[in-house]
Amino acid sequence: MSDDAQKSRLKFLPTGSSLHKLSALLTLALLIVVFSFTSSAFFSVNNGLTVLLQTSVIGLLAIGMTMVIITGGIDLSVGSVLALAGVVAGLLIKAGLPVFPAMVLGTFAGAICGFVNGLVVTKMRITPFVTTLGMMLVARGIALQLTGAAPISRLGEAFGTLGNGSFFRVVEMQANGFPKVVFPGIPYPAVLLLIMALLGAFLLKKRQIGRHIFSVGSSEEAARLSGVNVDRTKIWAYTASGGLAGLAGMVLMSRLVTVQPNEGVMYELDAIAASVIGGASLMGGVGSISGSMIGAFIIGVLRNGLNMAGTSAFIQMIIIGVVVIGAVYIDQIRNRN
Amino acid sequence: MLNASTSDTPLVKMVDIHKQFGGIHAVEGVSVDLYPGEVVGVLGHNGAGKSCLMRILSGAMSQTSGEILVNDSPATLNSPQDARSYGIETIYQTLALANHLDAPANLFMGRELKTRFGNLDEPRMLTEATEALRQLNPNFKNLRDPVSRLSGGQRQVIAIARAIYFQAKVLIMDEPTAALGPSETAMVSDLILRLKSEGIGIFLISHDMHDVFELCDRVMVMNKGKNVGAFRINDVNKDDILSLIIKGTLPEGWRPRGGDQ
Ligand SMILES: Nc1ncnc2c1ncn2[C@@H]1O[C@H](COP(=O)(O)OP(=O)(O)OP(=O)(O)O)[C@@H](O)[C@H]1O
Ligand SMILES: [Mg+2]
Repeated sequence: MSDDAQKSRLKFLPTGSSLHKLSALLTLALLIVVFSFTSSAFFSVNNGLTVLLQTSVIGLLAIGMTMVIITGGIDLSVGSVLALAGVVAGLLIKAGLPVFPAMVLGTFAGAICGFVNGLVVTKMRITPFVTTLGMMLVARGIALQLTGAAPISRLGEAFGTLGNGSFFRVVEMQANGFPKVVFPGIPYPAVLLLIMALLGAFLLKKRQIGRHIFSVGSSEEAARLSGVNVDRTKIWAYTASGGLAGLAGMVLMSRLVTVQPNEGVMYELDAIAASVIGGASLMGGVGSISGSMIGAFIIGVLRNGLNMAGTSAFIQMIIIGVVVIGAVYIDQIRNRN
Repeated sequence: MLNASTSDTPLVKMVDIHKQFGGIHAVEGVSVDLYPGEVVGVLGHNGAGKSCLMRILSGAMSQTSGEILVNDSPATLNSPQDARSYGIETIYQTLALANHLDAPANLFMGRELKTRFGNLDEPRMLTEATEALRQLNPNFKNLRDPVSRLSGGQRQVIAIARAIYFQAKVLIMDEPTAALGPSETAMVSDLILRLKSEGIGIFLISHDMHDVFELCDRVMVMNKGKNVGAFRINDVNKDDILSLIIKGTLPEGWRPRGGDQ
């Protein structure tokens, strides 16, 4: 039985999904090494924190995107929903609401967009691609219409806290009277990302809803016949994606201390790329939050490293496009085996 | 058969069921009933409408017209959950497994076991699944593999285990042994006899005449969507059934054989 022998030998090797995660992690390490050589400022605490900050928005989007992708769907609307959520929060603050409730309601607005996506996908039976493409235009349109395409500024200092604040920041007063930053601190957005990622992973792995998300994506018909409420599961996933897009909007707008109704264009592609690089299959049924976080950091490091090396934005586009196609190609080879 | 007539309320009764897909009549005016402790064979050529009829009873498909009675009262089976709430469990011909998930996840799909805190109770699902699967196939290993990596027979065993685990009153088995080897098939036959002795009613779809004569108390033959004959198994022989399946009529000059098998 050479087959058995082979099987037992293969047990020592990581299985499909962890193999993919491992190779993604190696890719990430490789990128970090390469960029450390191309730019001396790349490998430093400060730049590390910058990457963390930049990645947190894509990371938040990627958590929701991964859930939707596991159900076998896609959410192209997250970039626009992010902007609309920011606009809602900004307008509410202008109307006199304090920052915190305004941000909660902004996030909630994102969740509503996601809920509508879910309803359209399940009840009207429109494909996720078309539904969320429509929502991408609708949400962006509303955001631009509400603001007349102008940014909302002067939202107060408190509005910038979420995006710019940090834990354990150490500042020292120098003799010349200027403050010197000893340790820039761990940015709030990074902590928020960590919390949401852990929560997302917990829901996917340990809760019934997560199991149902995998079941639906693996075989919708089998899930239905086994008594899984397929519609409810999908609506849940799209709502989560919308809500996380809303939250990402709060982080991004807060970092800019201004609401920009035309922010977040093409962010959905980064989020999809992060999920796919992290091993989520666009056919559904496969994916993990940890993988998608690695994917988000690969994108983040890639962008940051290319920036620091002085690569133009256009070349960055080309490189990331190639990386995504490569990741999907690897995924296909993996599935064929 | 004696045990078929001891109880006078049927577990389920399907009356004048019709199912149309556009212009196609998949099921046309079929009535059938099932009593506790009875195995009723549903026979017919490929495409005769057997699976459609059974899927209607499973709540997986809705009938165009016709009535379903469960314990003599009308029942609406709009979803598989509805059917399950009446104690109707199904082994689908297509197995209905989620390929990326492992055996325990499939066995408990839609009915996951949870801990006190509402989290998935993986260890308990694994032990319960191991026990349920071992009953049918003692050398069932690789329980944690995604079921896409299992053999056809192993997959079928999971589908069977899933249907019997939840203590059905009515069991629908749509070609349950199609992918099984001889020893697993024998195990399923034993299982059917055991469930039957526990008073469970079983609809068995099978193309295997040997199984049909060994296990069924009654048979119902479908031909092109119609019920072309329902008999006690002792009143017919293999040739009669083949004739009904193929031509839709009994051989000329047929009369009840009265158990001369
Ligand atoms: N979802 C569907 N849409 C359209 N037609 C269908 C559908 N399901 C079944 N049919 C048609 O209904 C008829 C009966 O199919 P059914 O699956 O019940 O056959 P069957 O008796 O189970 O055959 P087999 O022995 O091959 O399993 C076939 O002609 C089939 O083409
Ligand atoms: Mg069939």
